[in-house]
Amino acid sequence: MSAPIRKGKNGRYRVRIDETARTVLQDLARQLTPAISAHDPMTKRLFPPAYPDPMLADVEREYRGLVETALVTHHQRALETLVATAHAESLSEEEVHDWLSAVESMRLVLGTRLDVTEDMTPPGPDDPNAAEYALYEYLGGLQYLLVDTLAEDLPDEGRPDSPFDPL
Amino acid sequence: MSPPAASVVARQGGVAPAELERPDIDESLTTDRPWLVIVWNDPINLMSFVTYVFQKLFGYSKEKATKLMLDVHTKGRAVVSSGTRERAELDVYRLHEHGLWATMEQEG
Repeated sequence: MSAPIRKGKNGRYRVRIDETARTVLQDLARQLTPAISAHDPMTKRLFPPAYPDPMLADVEREYRGLVETALVTHHQRALETLVATAHAESLSEEEVHDWLSAVESMRLVLGTRLDVTEDMTPPGPDDPNAAEYALYEYLGGLQYLLVDTLAEDLPDEGRPDSPFDPL
Repeated sequence: MSPPAASVVARQGGVAPAELERPDIDESLTTDRPWLVIVWNDPINLMSFVTYVFQKLFGYSKEKATKLMLDVHTKGRAVVSSGTRERAELDVYRLHEHGLWATMEQEG
């Protein structure tokens, strides 16, 4: 069996996931897009502070003012691509990157809402969060596949122009 | 391609209105001490995704990206890049585009 998301010889990525999952992804992306532009508190995790030092609150405010629009646009554009291509049989490389970004945004929002921890026990079937947690887990699996496919095109030895080495 | 951080664009522009608006925020910000870009552990991001982002954004080898990811995971944080304030802001911005919890601070 071939992987659910795989790069073909023509450079396009073939997506084999079922229709129900595609519809769920599309609906979720549709819901999240306006929440981001409305600065809904549930999207807060998508906008971490650059300067957390309370002494630099003014600097943080200025930085936020300068990058906010670009970051909102970045997240929205990825979600819009997912809405537009949710039922496509194959995707361009750029569209796969957008899927990865959109799935990441969804996981951050759901994971924050579910207050997930690294060693948490998944909620039982009667838990009101069970369905949302199952969706969160599904998105994790999809993200794993997307990363697995895209990482194949990155050189293991890194890029020669790699900047400052912090190690 | 990701759009560059607006602040960096603003500062590199000819007129640089951003510069005019930041006359003397804090003297310590203008020293030569490098800025460190830090990624913090979070319970949501997948380990393979974090490694992938370090490889993609910084061009690090898989080995180095994996080591940094494990540092984040086990120690709670890792310095992933370092440089001028503008460079650090751009790196933080790109990490935020990818959903990572990144902050910056000046080397102590």
